[in-house]
Amino acid sequence: MNLSISALEYIDAIKNGDFTIEEFTSKTLDHIKKIDGKLHAYLSLNEKVLDQAKELDKKRKAKEKIGSCIGMPVAIKDNICVKDTKTTCASKMLEKYVAPFDATVIARLRKQDALFIGKTNLDEFAMGTTTEFSAYGPSKNPWNPEYVPGGSSGGSAVAVSALESITSLGSDTGGSVRNPASFCSIVGLKPTYGLVSRYGLISYANSIEQIGPMARTVKDVAFLLNIISGIDPNDNTTIDNHGEDYLKDIDVGIDGKKIGIISEMVGKGTDKEVSSATKKALSKFEDLGAKCEEISIDMVDYSVASYYTITSTEAGSNLARYDNLRYGFDFDLEGYEFNSYIAKTRKNFGPEVTRRLIIGGFVPSAGHTGRYFLKALKVKSRLTKEINSAFKKVDFLVAPTVPILPFKFGEKIDDPVAMFLIDFNTVTANLTGKPAISVPFEISNGLPIGIQIIADSMQEKLLFQAAYALESTTNLPKVPL
Amino acid sequence: MTKIGLEIHCQLTKLESKLFCSCKADYRGFEPNTNICPVCVGLPGSLPRLNKKAIEKATIIAMALNCQTPSKIAFFRKNYFYPDLPKNFQITQLNIYGPTSIGQEGKISVEGKEIRIRRIQLEEDPGRLIYEGSSERTQITLVDYNRAGTPLVEIVTEPDFENPKQVRLFLNILSDLLENLGVSDPSLEGAMRADANVSIEGGSKVEIKNINSFYDLEKALHFELTRQQSLAERKIEIIQETRHWDDRRKITISARSKEGEEDYRYFLEGDIPWVMIAPQVISRLKKEMPESISSKRERYIKDYDIPAQVADVLSSDKFYSDLFEHAHNEKNAKEVANLITTDLMGFVDTKEKRKESMLTAKHLSDLANSIIENKITRNSSKTVLQTIVKTGKSVSQIISELDLGHVSDEKELARVIDEIIKEETKAVEEAKQKPETINYLVGKVMKKTKGKADAALTLNLLKKKLSEY
Amino acid sequence: MVSKEEIEHVAKLMKIELDDHTVHIERVQKMIEYFDILDKAATESEELIVKEQPLENLREDKYEPYKDKLIDKLKHYKEKFVRAPKMV
Repeated sequence: MNLSISALEYIDAIKNGDFTIEEFTSKTLDHIKKIDGKLHAYLSLNEKVLDQAKELDKKRKAKEKIGSCIGMPVAIKDNICVKDTKTTCASKMLEKYVAPFDATVIARLRKQDALFIGKTNLDEFAMGTTTEFSAYGPSKNPWNPEYVPGGSSGGSAVAVSALESITSLGSDTGGSVRNPASFCSIVGLKPTYGLVSRYGLISYANSIEQIGPMARTVKDVAFLLNIISGIDPNDNTTIDNHGEDYLKDIDVGIDGKKIGIISEMVGKGTDKEVSSATKKALSKFEDLGAKCEEISIDMVDYSVASYYTITSTEAGSNLARYDNLRYGFDFDLEGYEFNSYIAKTRKNFGPEVTRRLIIGGFVPSAGHTGRYFLKALKVKSRLTKEINSAFKKVDFLVAPTVPILPFKFGEKIDDPVAMFLIDFNTVTANLTGKPAISVPFEISNGLPIGIQIIADSMQEKLLFQAAYALESTTNLPKVPL
Repeated sequence: MTKIGLEIHCQLTKLESKLFCSCKADYRGFEPNTNICPVCVGLPGSLPRLNKKAIEKATIIAMALNCQTPSKIAFFRKNYFYPDLPKNFQITQLNIYGPTSIGQEGKISVEGKEIRIRRIQLEEDPGRLIYEGSSERTQITLVDYNRAGTPLVEIVTEPDFENPKQVRLFLNILSDLLENLGVSDPSLEGAMRADANVSIEGGSKVEIKNINSFYDLEKALHFELTRQQSLAERKIEIIQETRHWDDRRKITISARSKEGEEDYRYFLEGDIPWVMIAPQVISRLKKEMPESISSKRERYIKDYDIPAQVADVLSSDKFYSDLFEHAHNEKNAKEVANLITTDLMGFVDTKEKRKESMLTAKHLSDLANSIIENKITRNSSKTVLQTIVKTGKSVSQIISELDLGHVSDEKELARVIDEIIKEETKAVEEAKQKPETINYLVGKVMKKTKGKADAALTLNLLKKKLSEY
Repeated sequence: MVSKEEIEHVAKLMKIELDDHTVHIERVQKMIEYFDILDKAATESEELIVKEQPLENLREDKYEPYKDKLIDKLKHYKEKFVRAPKMV
């Protein structure tokens, strides 16, 4: 019984009787106990998970109907609501908050009898690229614990990479699933905007973000997407995918397909190791029968500025509800007047969230709207038009997921613009709503490099085919645990 | 020239559910915080689910006020902090990216004066603040979110009103219109609120907020106009500001310009895609729209020869015009209308009485027919109506039980008249000399026949008898 | 360029008490300065792309009471209300 098996292998093994759900869950929990003190992927563990595993084994024995996950563990980013579970967004503002309902994705996984091992660490309210902004301490990269795991879904990436869970869910607003997937050498998908319900995802930038599945193989990510995707009456922004099966025909290959490499994303600012890995990936694509060409998308140069302007504005509004009156943490309001209580309470936001909220109040404010916010929206529209034209010429767009190698803790934390630029290659997919996936490609001096593939809206099936094809050309070392 | 503009908030109380969730739209009668769910309390992770009927009802209102209705509507966030606002932003409508609210540029006529409607928008009502404790120092502020998320239609007029009387007339017309459309019950407490803006010649515009009823609105307008006029007389500048209506002292007080500092950072509500309203939808809504008050009025006068004053009263009352529609036919329409406006409206006036009344359209129809067929005098109809309302018994049953049958049989009447003549010798003498006093004798006959005697017939017979005498 | 006073004003608007002014303010200034790059983007005539849905997509108007007693799960006063600080 190996903790490094894939989800599909796990399901086969259970069906085969190789081991029980309880045995696997128990081994997972032991492993977590051994290493999570160091790696800090988890903020909280599900105390009842072993009992739930036993229940599922009982059901199986009694030949009762059981969901397709059959007790497969899924770790959940702590900004996704799991009923009667603490959901903190790695913030002091929600220290005591217990979600009274399941997110739609959780309800769908529950129906398929997945087991929720625990809630994973993140940058506070999903704002960050390294988990250094978590109010409960950062997560460590299992490939080298002195290095950041990426963010904001750092905990989810570490959990999967370090074999503390087979799969996990993260959320991606500007790269927050793909970036840590790349830094931790796992697969992470940001679906088309609207493919996966956001009901129960605690909003940061609601016009842009998506919940994304993360796992060690492309097929596992497709398997999860099958379960969590599809129209939801609780989320007006969801689109009907007509029950599409993303696993079917995933191995047809990409012979004859056209690939565009986004020139703005491989230019200056890209580490040389990342550059060379990207070149290698392109030659692999050609070996697989695809044709590669360079494509320029002008607006990419403005995408980071546009992204942070828009997301700060939305964050400023989405986080306004945290005034500690209805839920939050312990802070008695006796003796306070309204304005001073609210201002004092909101001091409990961390430094990065505080800065983004101030920016979010500034850029849409009267007098500045036209220059920043409206301008950013126009860049978003223009970028969307440009990427749509690109997809008339090519089937996929490719770039390195992150322009730089993983870096050490503390290296970038004092330079806000340097932090912004980590997202340079990923925000375009968020701004335009296109699906994008990060596939682990190379380990360079012990540090992971991922390659990003982007497809047109609702083309996840095609996207998985390209990702699977690329994955099959790699032979990566095991994570050094 | 005096200019008054209004911002009216009207709850769509006839909807079943709130604007963005399935909690009850009419929150009245619930224990505090028992008509709530994750969406209307703005819990983390909750998302708004727009109510289709709210869009349809609001579109109907816009059409009834002669507004333009765009083919695509959008929602925006108005960001500010207040304890009754669970998300600390309100989802509302604006027109900053072109016309995107439910209606713009409409108009309605008030006694010949045209009042322009600037725009109509859909938005959510906040919760309510309640204060516990009497002393201001020890008072505790409490919040009840039952009302949070209730669908509101905000109607903004141009400053076309010239005086408070026009405002009052407009609000009456608007209330009747909204009730007639079946979108709201304006008589419910808090269902309609209005803010105003007032300016006089040479003065700046002053906004008045915190007005809790239409009665208060008129008072506030009068007070504010007086205040501004007195400033102008003393050549003191009328500054542009927001004032609050102080209900206790019945005055407006300056709101310390906190409003001016407010920056709402309006932007599109990303959780609600723009709603496309196809032309087929507009035609369907137009067809489904209840007949307008003015159209009803015209029809009553033209088709049924109902007097204008009666038609006015009947058409502007939805409950009774509905009753009329079901009760009348070509022959008895005028009589039914008469029964409703002369008698019924008088004693079945309040909402409770209307609810408890056992009267049906058939009752009215039967009664009107009975009067037309001379089975009963109009005089007795009031008694019959009162009995129907209380008991619900059929008209024929009541007529026989109370012995109200019309005495139009000449022989029967003649007998009664003879009796009266014998009893009232003095009155008979008077009547012979002063013919106008004959009505006293007619009254006596009525009394003796318990109101059943046909009045005209009685008078004729009496005259004949007296001349014979 | 954005001034210190403007940033303090915005912080008040966002109901955030700023303790260590200088660190935050300098960084916020740097972040907003980065956005100046937007001035160079040629997008004057750009029309905004928006997400749309047909009226039929929307929720039916039905009253469905929420099954849990939600106030029990929130901060509450006398089990019935949410308490707010003194309003001035």
